[in-house]
Amino acid sequence: MNHQTNQAGGTPRIADPIGMEVFSNRLLTITEDMGNTLIRSSFSTNIKERKDCSVGLFDRHGRLIAQASHIPLHLGSLRGSVQAVLERFPAETIEPGMAFISNDPYLAGGTHMPDIALVTPMFAEGELRFFTANIAHHSDVGGSVPGSISAASRTVFEEGIRIPPILVVENGRIREDLLDFIASNTREPEERILDLKVQIATNERGNAALDGLVRQMGLAQVEQAIEDILNYTALRMKMRIGELGSSRGSFVCHLDDDGSGGDPVPVAVSVWVENGNLVFDFSGTGPQAKGALNVSRSALEASVFYAAKALLDPQLMPNEGMMAAVDIRAEKGLIINAQFPAAVGARSITCQKIVRSIFGAFREILPESRALSSGNDDLPTIVFSANHARRAGTYVYLETIGGGGPASAETDGMNAIHVHVTNTSNLPVEALEHEYPLMVDEYSLVERSGGAGRRRGGLGITRQITALRDGTIFSARSDGHKFPATGVAGGGDGATAHLYRNYGLPTEQALASKVTHLVLAKGENIRIETPGAGGYGLPSERTDAEVERDIADGVIAAGDLPLYGR
Amino acid sequence: MYRIGVDVGGTFTDFTLLNDITGQVSFYKVSSTPADPSQAICTGAREMLDVFGVKAEEVSFIGHGTTVATNLVIERKGTKTALLTTKGFRDILDIGRQTRPNLYDYRAVKPQILVPRSLRFEIDERVAFDGSVLKPVDVAQVDGILEKLRAADVQSVAICFLHSYRNPDHENRVRDRLRELAPDLYITASSDLLPEFREFERLSTTVLNAYAGPRMQTYLDRLSEGVKELNAPVAPYTIHSNGGLMSIPTVRQYPVRTCLSGPAAGVIGGAVLAGEAGFRHVITFDVGGTSTDVSLILDGRPQFTSSRTVADFPVKIPMIDIHVIGAGGGSIARRDDASALKVGPFSAGAVPGPVAYGRGGTEPTVTDANVVLHRLNPVTLLGGKLAVDEQAAIRVIDDQVAGPLGIDRDEASLGILRIANANMGRAIRSISSEHGHDLSRFALMAFGGAGPLHACEVAQECGIPTVIVPREPGTMCARGILLSDISLDFVRTRVAAATPETWRSVMTFFDEMRREGEEWLDGEHVSAELRSFQQLIEARYEGQNFEVTVQVAPDETLTLAEFLTRFDAAHRIEYGYDIPGRTVEVVNCRTKAVGLVPKPYNDFQPKIGGSVEEALIEHRTTYFNAGRGREKTPVYEREKLPAGVPMAGPAIVEEMSSTTVIPPATRFEIDQAGNIIISILGDAQ
Repeated sequence: MNHQTNQAGGTPRIADPIGMEVFSNRLLTITEDMGNTLIRSSFSTNIKERKDCSVGLFDRHGRLIAQASHIPLHLGSLRGSVQAVLERFPAETIEPGMAFISNDPYLAGGTHMPDIALVTPMFAEGELRFFTANIAHHSDVGGSVPGSISAASRTVFEEGIRIPPILVVENGRIREDLLDFIASNTREPEERILDLKVQIATNERGNAALDGLVRQMGLAQVEQAIEDILNYTALRMKMRIGELGSSRGSFVCHLDDDGSGGDPVPVAVSVWVENGNLVFDFSGTGPQAKGALNVSRSALEASVFYAAKALLDPQLMPNEGMMAAVDIRAEKGLIINAQFPAAVGARSITCQKIVRSIFGAFREILPESRALSSGNDDLPTIVFSANHARRAGTYVYLETIGGGGPASAETDGMNAIHVHVTNTSNLPVEALEHEYPLMVDEYSLVERSGGAGRRRGGLGITRQITALRDGTIFSARSDGHKFPATGVAGGGDGATAHLYRNYGLPTEQALASKVTHLVLAKGENIRIETPGAGGYGLPSERTDAEVERDIADGVIAAGDLPLYGR
Repeated sequence: MYRIGVDVGGTFTDFTLLNDITGQVSFYKVSSTPADPSQAICTGAREMLDVFGVKAEEVSFIGHGTTVATNLVIERKGTKTALLTTKGFRDILDIGRQTRPNLYDYRAVKPQILVPRSLRFEIDERVAFDGSVLKPVDVAQVDGILEKLRAADVQSVAICFLHSYRNPDHENRVRDRLRELAPDLYITASSDLLPEFREFERLSTTVLNAYAGPRMQTYLDRLSEGVKELNAPVAPYTIHSNGGLMSIPTVRQYPVRTCLSGPAAGVIGGAVLAGEAGFRHVITFDVGGTSTDVSLILDGRPQFTSSRTVADFPVKIPMIDIHVIGAGGGSIARRDDASALKVGPFSAGAVPGPVAYGRGGTEPTVTDANVVLHRLNPVTLLGGKLAVDEQAAIRVIDDQVAGPLGIDRDEASLGILRIANANMGRAIRSISSEHGHDLSRFALMAFGGAGPLHACEVAQECGIPTVIVPREPGTMCARGILLSDISLDFVRTRVAAATPETWRSVMTFFDEMRREGEEWLDGEHVSAELRSFQQLIEARYEGQNFEVTVQVAPDETLTLAEFLTRFDAAHRIEYGYDIPGRTVEVVNCRTKAVGLVPKPYNDFQPKIGGSVEEALIEHRTTYFNAGRGREKTPVYEREKLPAGVPMAGPAIVEEMSSTTVIPPATRFEIDQAGNIIISILGDAQ
């Protein structure tokens, strides 16, 4: 495509492409540094190991300039926090030495209560110029259950302390009384205070680095380079949108239930291009849930931004430039745009469904060669809790389990991975058995779970755990027991998920996808089998060699041969 | 007597020859022979000995850095390998950490696993986390599996059972049974290689060892044979990823330990030479055709890590902590459709290479930009062995960068370099300032063919005040081998709260590992006065899953209370806070057994009475920045430059293996060891 024509259309020009590239390296250094500080210095497992946190830089108007996100569910979700600060504290009232804290999905643009955001203004040449911000998932923020998330919660009041945007640092001094107040409303106050202080220090580090950059380059040059980066990203996004033409795609998928039992809930989306913008219209999606599977506006946006970036241009820089052309239409009161005081703790299951539907809709828009099948779009989470084996107190072992990855025109789906809005590591079996009075009986692939196709869907994971203590409490929030991951371009569906109690024992019992407070006796087991992904292309087109290898590997069985037209 | 260091790279095999008596160092380079790397080593060594008039009998040491094991993995050319594992866990290899390699890009897939599922066999056995046996192993299971191994023509077997780091008995019994029934099989048991907890990383390391083992043995046999034919009365040593040397029998057993052999030698060499030049805090900066390796030297000591990957597989062996990015001379400059200019990660590599080298390259690279700006010799390189086509480089930059961006040729070429330098600068910051180190206290040690081309401007950008360029920087890894010691790492895992009881077992571990280390050093024929040991404990606060390192001096009787104090302090330094009184868990105990190799003293004879004028080759019109435009720049022949004479940039210094670009706003001189020491005076831009 011709460079000059693009600019003739009124699209902003990039003043200095070389300077922009050099500058974006410096910005990345700052966000990487902030992210590393946050992860290295924090105490919570969620932040330190699962890297459930993000950092970002904003301009004084609250436009996102750069972000380092370690999980996609945070993509752009810091914007809500910065905007909430600016609404509550107009720019002219903000002074050096301030910092703000918030978490609430309804009062402060948050996505769920455990994600606490810290926003710090940065001044240069005597004026407010930027904000540094970070968000981190705290292990507990109070509420009715340890960890503050239960699929069965009915309102945000059950999900922990609500924090609107408030000053947590004033005149350069941390308001210790306020930190105590917040920490006292959580189950592990000491760790909360440590982690919150790390969050405050992370922004200060970012501010110092920004200050160094402004001194080295000069403020005018920095601001020019920022405009270039935003314009460049917007231009690149517009070109990707321009390639989509006028086709339109729609897709509906379903949650098994809304978290408190009941009927399946549809998540529907239609996608089209309108006036150069990419429209995501969620009409047809079910109403907000009684349980905690609801999604706030910020989390909806993050899911949409993630899907757009993954489908259109994975290298796109995460900044305001990519977001401007995305037009999200969702009525209030839907499960994907919930209203106060709906509970939102278990939002990520629904966010996965939002992404599943968007990926599905794009199958009608993108060339077939770029389509992806559905995968483990559920975020299966299991939680065990009991008295510690070797020390006082209660342990909470929480793990999210991967499953089948989507198949594409080029490759089989990856086995045993997290998809879409999350990508957290597992806890090694040897580490788990050291830490908790639990024993892992099996950790393996679910055979025959990948959807048939020219490219096979990725396989799900089996994890079977036996309680070594009486009174071990088990909960699960998952999905995909009723609706499989669908194939694309003629590919078959993946296997659905399963959850069992006492698998292989005379008392074996199949469980629903959401389980709260099951009490296990010593020797009882829980087995989770996560979904496989759908396949890509006609199974009959899979080569003989690949089919034979799958049979030798036990990935498919001889009985599956008819599926492959053999 | 003479000592030889050899580094086998993808394109060239580099040699350093050291006269033990006079300390004189000579350099040599031949093309590599990838099909059998030992060929270039042996023929190159013979040629070099002839060229420098040295008899093979005078050679007292040959050490080499090799990428054979790594390449076997990358190119999937290892041996058909099977895996024996605990029942219920044969897919651990496939599951890994259940993460996808790229958050947004599903075209990025997990690496294809080295052992197909059909060759992963489960053994009905189980050991608990505390080492107790829950289900005893019946080794008769091995007999049936062996038949299947034979049928599938398997030649190598990895064994990895849960909690074998705590109790290796089951692995040992299965290993022994296999050895008894099939002595020809190459067997790697995880508890022999790496008795450390976290099953996936241990398993991955074990499988890589098994996969590379048999072919690596073949290579080592050829190498030994070739060295024998040279008539040099020595057995070759191999440098491994922690920067230490190992004898052939150790490498045969643990080939996975060599996977970052060459780059590690470069870092060791850089640390030693910078230290001799008076610099204790150093960033090593090794730029080749496709990648840039940077590494941090603190107080003269390289840093180590045990969480790195080889071809995307975790390898949990202590290694020198080298940060690698895909930026080098071959990095391609491309304009994208939204009119940004990107440099890398795509690389023209050695083939087709930069356009200026005329081997078929069609896209502009960093090297082409250096040629256009006359920073690199626009006529020939490598001492005349490589012709340079300046016009082709000009054309490609005009057509693909300058024209489309609407800027002039020099500005476009400089833009490519500025972007490449910014990428390299980011790598440097990520290992230094991002960990709280102040770069104004560091020196940049530049080597590799392209390191000295970029070092000064990268230093300017990062605020590093000094650049050091050793002699023949393009052969630094070969030289580093001659500056390395013999060493091997040992590890024990015991995840337990630090109580008087566990503390006793920690001390027992160190005693045991000391004994094993002594035995190993016996085998390496290291005499007692040259032995030393380094010990450390990795520990964490209860509830954490990340470890902090506490050093324990050899022969030190550390009490539990002292250890806890030291741990709190180490945690404070690493993470900015500590929690005195909170339970501390010991995780790993590590010992490094070291056999000191006598270091040659550097007897470089600087030109006495020579003059700068004698070293001058020509003046070239070179471009440094837009403000100055093209300027007449002196080009010197390195070996003729006199020591101790202060000079000022801009200048270019040429030698066989590299070119040093010294921009304006610098001062430099040759020190007594022959290094170029460059002081950065400010930002020339």
